[in-house]
Amino acid sequence: MAEKLIGQDIVPPDLVAKITGTAKFAEDFRAEGMLFAKLLLSPMPHARVRSIDASRALAMPGVIDILTADDVPAAEPPSERALTNEPHYFGEPILAVAAVDETTAADAIELIEVDLEPLPFVLDPLESLRPNGPNARLGGNTIDGRELKTVKWTEADFAAAAEGKLPMGEPVQEWSVGDLDAGFAEADLVLEDTIVHQSLTHHPMEPRSCMAYWQNGKLHLYGSTQSTARARVSLANSLDMEPEDVVFIGQYCGGGFGSKITMSPIMHVPALLSRKVGRPVMLRITRYEEHYIGRARPGFQAWTRIGWRNDGVVTAIDLYIVQDHGSYGSSGDHMSASAVASLMYQPAAMRFRGLTVYTNTPPRSAQRAPGGAQIVAMLEPLMDKAARELGIDRVQMRRVNAPDHESRFGPNQGGVTSAYVREALDVGAEVFGWPEKSRLSGNRAGTKVTGIGVGLSPYVGGSSGFDGLMVIRPDGDLYIHQGIGNLGTHSFADTARAAADVLGMPWDRCSIIWGDTSDHLPWSSVQAGSQTAHAHTRANHAAAMDAKRKLQEIAARDLGGSPADYETSDGRVFMRSSPSRGMSFARAAERAIELGGEYSGQDLPDDIHAVTVSAAGALAGRGLMGVAKDNYSHDGGTWSWVVGFARVEVDVETGEVEIKEYTGVADCGTVLHPRNLASQIHGGGVQGFGQARSQKWVFDPKWGVPFAHRLYTARPPGILDAPLEMDWGAVDEPDPENPVGAKGIGEPPIGAGSAAITSAIADALGGVCLCRTPLTTDVILAELEGREQPYGPLETHV
Amino acid sequence: MAVIRDMMPAFELLQPTSVEDTVALLQRHGERAWVLAGGLDSLDWLKDRVKRPETVVELGGVGELRGVRPTADGLEIGALTTLSEVASHREIVERFGVLSTAARHVATPQIRNQGTIGGNFSQDTRCWYYRGGWPCYRAGGNTCYAATPQSMNREHCVFGASRCVAVNASDTAPALIALDAQMVIRNAGGERVVAAEDYFLGPDIDITRMTVLEPGDLLTHIRIPSTWAEARFYFEKARDRQSWDFALVSVASAIVVAGGQIERARIAVNGVAPTPVRLRDVENLVQGMQPNEDTAAAAGELAIRGARPLRHNDYKLPLTRNLVRRALRALDA
Amino acid sequence: MTDTEIIVESEPRPFSRRSFIKGVIAAGAAVSSTGYLFRASSALAGSPSVRGSIPRLMTLNVNGQSRRVDVLQQETLAMTLRYKLGLTGTKLGCDRAECGACTVLIDGVPHYSCSVLTGAVRERQVTTIEGLVAENGELHPVQQAVLEEGGFQCAFCAPGFIMNMVAMVNENPNPTREEAAHYLSGNLCRCGDYSKILNSAVRAAEYARRA
Repeated sequence: MAEKLIGQDIVPPDLVAKITGTAKFAEDFRAEGMLFAKLLLSPMPHARVRSIDASRALAMPGVIDILTADDVPAAEPPSERALTNEPHYFGEPILAVAAVDETTAADAIELIEVDLEPLPFVLDPLESLRPNGPNARLGGNTIDGRELKTVKWTEADFAAAAEGKLPMGEPVQEWSVGDLDAGFAEADLVLEDTIVHQSLTHHPMEPRSCMAYWQNGKLHLYGSTQSTARARVSLANSLDMEPEDVVFIGQYCGGGFGSKITMSPIMHVPALLSRKVGRPVMLRITRYEEHYIGRARPGFQAWTRIGWRNDGVVTAIDLYIVQDHGSYGSSGDHMSASAVASLMYQPAAMRFRGLTVYTNTPPRSAQRAPGGAQIVAMLEPLMDKAARELGIDRVQMRRVNAPDHESRFGPNQGGVTSAYVREALDVGAEVFGWPEKSRLSGNRAGTKVTGIGVGLSPYVGGSSGFDGLMVIRPDGDLYIHQGIGNLGTHSFADTARAAADVLGMPWDRCSIIWGDTSDHLPWSSVQAGSQTAHAHTRANHAAAMDAKRKLQEIAARDLGGSPADYETSDGRVFMRSSPSRGMSFARAAERAIELGGEYSGQDLPDDIHAVTVSAAGALAGRGLMGVAKDNYSHDGGTWSWVVGFARVEVDVETGEVEIKEYTGVADCGTVLHPRNLASQIHGGGVQGFGQARSQKWVFDPKWGVPFAHRLYTARPPGILDAPLEMDWGAVDEPDPENPVGAKGIGEPPIGAGSAAITSAIADALGGVCLCRTPLTTDVILAELEGREQPYGPLETHV
Repeated sequence: MAVIRDMMPAFELLQPTSVEDTVALLQRHGERAWVLAGGLDSLDWLKDRVKRPETVVELGGVGELRGVRPTADGLEIGALTTLSEVASHREIVERFGVLSTAARHVATPQIRNQGTIGGNFSQDTRCWYYRGGWPCYRAGGNTCYAATPQSMNREHCVFGASRCVAVNASDTAPALIALDAQMVIRNAGGERVVAAEDYFLGPDIDITRMTVLEPGDLLTHIRIPSTWAEARFYFEKARDRQSWDFALVSVASAIVVAGGQIERARIAVNGVAPTPVRLRDVENLVQGMQPNEDTAAAAGELAIRGARPLRHNDYKLPLTRNLVRRALRALDA
Repeated sequence: MTDTEIIVESEPRPFSRRSFIKGVIAAGAAVSSTGYLFRASSALAGSPSVRGSIPRLMTLNVNGQSRRVDVLQQETLAMTLRYKLGLTGTKLGCDRAECGACTVLIDGVPHYSCSVLTGAVRERQVTTIEGLVAENGELHPVQQAVLEEGGFQCAFCAPGFIMNMVAMVNENPNPTREEAAHYLSGNLCRCGDYSKILNSAVRAAEYARRA
């Protein structure tokens, strides 16, 4: 048998292209006669377009055409369109101009007269909830299920909140389990706090540039997406087209973090402009534009009350979250946050109340551990505070509350597939050296005081029910078709190894086909929410088992015996008892073509998705096909965990924080690819450092104009803001609900990084929770110096 | 008319190869000309399409503006010398270390490889209202958007406000002031020399300009006298990120200690006012005092006397106080 | 940041100033909903200076080759490389000298090509990511090191980091991890994969010493 590939480091198949500059991202494609488009962005946070006069622009030499909201598909509010006649945030695209070059297009934009009627706008959710507060949307200020509606709290609601405390009027979403009063009655310690978390832009390195042309009625779109097969379908649906008429090319995606899950609305601009003018159109998205249209994590204004017994067990949690929703769509980070809190602290009684409020700020979307990353950074320092008051070790505090495999959580009290949380805490404590390091807490050297932090972070790690598709061609190699994307997680390669291992196929004889839907890609999960490592090891495993069965049947048919007598390895199918009796995969592929039917993909399983039917149909007859829907059992929610440990030094004279050390340890089931896992843990951790320490989202409150639209004002962390060395570890226990034991791991690292830092900074400050992120120099220094905080306790767009 | 960012509008690019030609071009084009050195501040303005010069005079070909030369009394640094060269030049490191340290704290290696000492010293403010194209006083308008009760002014000034509350963001400016540098300026009429601390204009004098340079002027050299070559230096820049960030507050000092007493001191701070601020009162206070914690504390307190914080930048007071304290405390080490 | 902008008052007021047009104050709105409007001034566009809008034919030395190319006077090197010379390995992440994805070597020194005017590098040697692989197809030692360390995640930042690493190993073939971090501090990786990037940088230096 070939050695199992799962668990080994590999060089991803796209790496040479990436490091030699030959990998083509969306903005790297060129087409004959290609035009360039530029966007006209709204100069107001909320307005209605009364009229557009583009006559002077269109008269300019080199200007070809314009595209306005009237040219793009309608959308039911609160859904978003590529271009709008009612901009809901400063910077929202109103129209696009196509010209022979970008300079001309930009000059043309300046010549366009847009007559705008200003509408009331609001940036702060709490302002919108005031009795006469403005709504960000004409249709309402919140969403309940799919229904837009208006919620206003009373003056009494606002008056009931003490200064700096979250007012809590009527919620829109709520759930509770257990007896809250009894839970708090049982508690020996009860703490409560108002805590705010900033919104923050994803800012992937690659802005969402896109290029499109039409050929023989088909749209060819070169775009940046996390999920290739799904981007094609969402793009086709949004344009009222058949998926067969859309070719989506996105082999490389320069980061998404949840901001490019499928299509981006802005892709309509080159798609429709190119159709309108009959020439290819490139829309190069600038960093400035990416800030506006590129999505952001929703901010929270929250209040919580938590009760603990003397032994550290959490008895009750009461949580209220007002979510800053931005201007479009429907986002449930606040709900996810409540589920995460319930899962990680396992309170016998919990109540969640909350609502999400539209604001005239850029649209929000999922960002790596949506809801989870916020809530752990907000609550973990409170756990520390309680541990301090109760005299309990902080890791022990997490241990006593941690769920196990049988635990239930959330409003529906669902279960989990596995939870090796205590194991992760134990491994983490050992790798980090918790017993010794925690004694450094509060040590002072010169002006530097040491803080030690620990942050636990769970998030969902897998879905199921997608399709696998692969072909053993007559050259004897295995061609694995992957509809998931390639945003740098390498899961398009890592999940293919489940198939290779089933067949015992050496890695160098596996080719992965991805990124271009004309290459016949199967129905896949979105590459988001850490789904793929779980979902597509399952799907590829299922399809490989199908291929294996077919190999065995062909061998038995030609060589005698029964299929079960045969095994596969190293590109051969052979009789177990007599390994010399067998045939090569190359020969089996030829035989499959001769036999036809299901062997070569002429007959397909009836439970696979239409997208897979179409892809498999196109591949039929090319070799021995493995194709199957993942029908493996999936009992319980798949959740992965990372615990982060940090050592920081806070300079008490400047408020500056240096992260000296960081260790992240995961429970993500079987480790698929160790080095890649380290990258996820560390990379997510670094993003968490930015969330906790530096990343900004700033608006002028009077004008509704943002300032953190540049990288230097948004302040994502650089290489000097991370420790020089970072450690990691993994429990490496298989999840029972996955054929190879895998769970996804993209999400939890960011919350672990953020929470470990908020915890460590609070620790350095002697246990003081500043109850906000980011914990910038000014905020920390004001605390250290006993001065007034630079921002009010509920202010978030700062 | 609509606003668009990010594509530079056309301009005429002039690339002289001598100071003589440069000065002649600047005279000919007057207010229509923009002088481009490293280009990092300039291209930002031009890409934002907020400043729209017709003509850009690019200095890259003017070799005589580059390099570091010894003079009878110290050093002369060409204005076009890159920050990387300034940061690593041996004589600067050995004799005027506060300048090389300051240069090393600018932004990033790539920016230091291209950005020039003259450009860094002369850079425009980073007030995000002004740079965003808001029609404020500094842009020729009639209001300041950063100083209202609601404004976002965490990074704005605590001293020297005069209608405008922007700050000077240069890292090298306080260092050059501490070194008593002299700025050599050429124009068609000849040469003039201005002390580093007099190079900057507060908004009370001219709200639309950061420096004394007028149309037709070219900063050619920076002279550093040996006055402070024997001093103890200190530079510190407090910032949110450890690379590519402007100072929240920075301090630069040159202090000579003799016989256990502070003989003379030069201390400047930046990021706190529309111009870099030389702390003359503090210098006078500490002269003759012993370099100890009490002196440091007194210096720190005096440094922020009269400061007037805005809504969001009160933290700059303790930060400035503490950085000045550290500059003095460093003598003790 | 760094510039001798001796400029001074650019244009006569109406030409280049933005102005606010007063807008309607929304009825019944809270304080934060009062609104004036942002607008560009009306006189400005449509009159690109004629001389400046004409491309100039120039010769550039890129990756050891002389390339003839028409360049706008305001054109940046990144744009020329990507859109005129087909060298799309150099990435534009911010176009504002903030992220480092566009880093190329000019006479061996790392620069942000988004913030260099093409007209200013005529006499200089430009090296891009495409210029690193040897003629026989062998990877540059830095690329080899990156490959063996498992490279980057999304890798949009990779060409810029790699160019900076090439300059680093030439200048300091034996960097500590901290020195490498400082050298690479002008490049942003949003995947946050700095730990692995530093592993690559240290290995790159090791390979370069051997080469």
